[in-house]
Amino acid sequence: MDDAFTAPGDTTWQRIPTALAWYRRLVTGAGCLALGAGGALLLLLWGKPVLAGVWAALVLVAAAVLWFLAGRFQRSWGYAEATAELYLTYGVLVRQLVVVPYGRMQVVDVTADLLEQALGIATVRVRTAASTADTRVVGLPLADAVQLRDRLAARSESFSTGL
Amino acid sequence: MLPPRYAWGAPPPGPPRKPDPDGDVTTGVFRSHWLVIPFQVLAVTLVFVALIGPILISFGYAWVLLLGVSVVFGSLAYALPAWWYGTFGLREDHLVVHSGLVLRSSREIPLSRLQAVDVVQPLLMQVFGLAELRIELAGGDGSAIRLRCLRRGVAERLRVAVLAHAAGLPGRSPEAPEWPFYRLPFLLLLGALTFRVPVLLCFILLLLLATAFVVFLEPGVLGGAVPLVLGLLRYYWGPLARYTDFYASLSSDGLRLRYGMFQRRMQTVPPGRVQAVRVVEPLLWRALGVARVEATVAGYAGARQGDSADLLPVAPRGRAFSLVNELFPESEASSVPLVDNRGLMSNAAGVDERLFVSVRGRFCRVTEIVPVERMQTLRLSSGPLAQLRGRATVDVDTPPGPVTGRASDRAADEGRRFLDALVEYGRRARVPSAGTERWATRATMRGESVTNRDEGEEPEVRSGDTPER
Repeated sequence: MDDAFTAPGDTTWQRIPTALAWYRRLVTGAGCLALGAGGALLLLLWGKPVLAGVWAALVLVAAAVLWFLAGRFQRSWGYAEATAELYLTYGVLVRQLVVVPYGRMQVVDVTADLLEQALGIATVRVRTAASTADTRVVGLPLADAVQLRDRLAARSESFSTGL
Repeated sequence: MLPPRYAWGAPPPGPPRKPDPDGDVTTGVFRSHWLVIPFQVLAVTLVFVALIGPILISFGYAWVLLLGVSVVFGSLAYALPAWWYGTFGLREDHLVVHSGLVLRSSREIPLSRLQAVDVVQPLLMQVFGLAELRIELAGGDGSAIRLRCLRRGVAERLRVAVLAHAAGLPGRSPEAPEWPFYRLPFLLLLGALTFRVPVLLCFILLLLLATAFVVFLEPGVLGGAVPLVLGLLRYYWGPLARYTDFYASLSSDGLRLRYGMFQRRMQTVPPGRVQAVRVVEPLLWRALGVARVEATVAGYAGARQGDSADLLPVAPRGRAFSLVNELFPESEASSVPLVDNRGLMSNAAGVDERLFVSVRGRFCRVTEIVPVERMQTLRLSSGPLAQLRGRATVDVDTPPGPVTGRASDRAADEGRRFLDALVEYGRRARVPSAGTERWATRATMRGESVTNRDEGEEPEVRSGDTPER
């Protein structure tokens, strides 16, 4: 199975720093905290302390699983720049390998939300005329992201073949 | 209230050139036919009377009349200047469209980027000899240019000029000659649309319901007929009315389709604009040997996709595949070696230097064809169950449309080899000269056989109803 998801040719997967895992953990942790605390509080007010405890435990288990998965998710990410295509791989449950030819890139942009800015990472998003594939590189350090964007933009210009 | 005339740098709309019958449309400023004003006023008034009328009736008819008249004048006061300032015209190979009154907008469209050109005539416009020109661009929904209520001749000449500019020729070039490809006999359309499992089931159910109604005189059963009738209207009457008198022809400007009874349409899809094609053969159609051809064109996004995606609504199977060969020249879909996945969901896929072909469906067979130079992204994916079984799926992404190229449920290493082959063929096919803009002069630049339109192209090279294929 792993052979099918190796990097192409003589390239190797460029991996993503662990900041991405912490980003995911913070986001899912905050979600779980809100969900667990809110639900438990409601159940307590309703007068079901046992149910509240069960709910809190369930959410805690979910948070632990997500905590563990965030690490695997971060390790599953990788990108490789081949001669004429950008290769991406990601996904824990659904493993994906996405190939984006440079000539097909319409827009390349870098985005970073507030939490990403705090962690010093950014997302490089690549748009093609097809909207079905999720083509982005998440969790890169900001400087790397900007460099990657510039490289991709330059190549998309030089390989351009129209729509 | 006058619109800001100078803020946009727009030419102050002087007296429009009288579009005489054989005048050319490549210069000058044009606007819609004046009949658009009464249409708009009538529509607004009707909507107003229908919505507010019932409430006003309680105050007396005088009020309805008074408010109705004021709405007529109010809408007239808007529609008249909006019509006067809504101009368009060709400026070299750009189309410039000014529109809006309160929110003034001015668009300049590089015609080399157009994806398709349609001339549409709804029934009401047919009565007055008017037409609408639609220029589809690749920007998705809302990016199409719609020039409403043009005189039919103006719309036709504008279409010719627009296509000439898109092909890279001067705007006054005559229309490229065409040769007939396929005319759909009405009986075949009727028979093929009827001869489908859902439609036949619907008719049988309707008959049963009618019998039950007659026998038991129970009006409740008619309630069950409503969804059936609605479904038949949508999937039986809809295509029947739309594709009556269907005629397809080929020209150097691409595929031309003319069809419709209540709504006449003339569609032009320039060469290279078809991103992908699929040939659909429902179960019973395979017995008849007919098929339907649908295409992904970048301009036909969103709601218009259903309207315009069908290139051939019903055609003999051989004709359908010969259209595919016309759309993707120098390639042969039937010669692509297919590999079956021997899985639960039958899927066979293959690729050669020009085309990716996949065939799926046990009952309704769908053949999907994507030229390798038109592939956008490629994906190899494997879900949790597929990972346990060591299987993977290869997706070939194209712009939004009916076609989804996919080689599903392959052994993982086979999937990867398939993906690598696709990447390799795609890289070779995507040479920079393969762009699709200005197709007429591009052929000249490549030193290929030039078809000079002014001297008249030679249609007899492939004349006759059946090009030798």
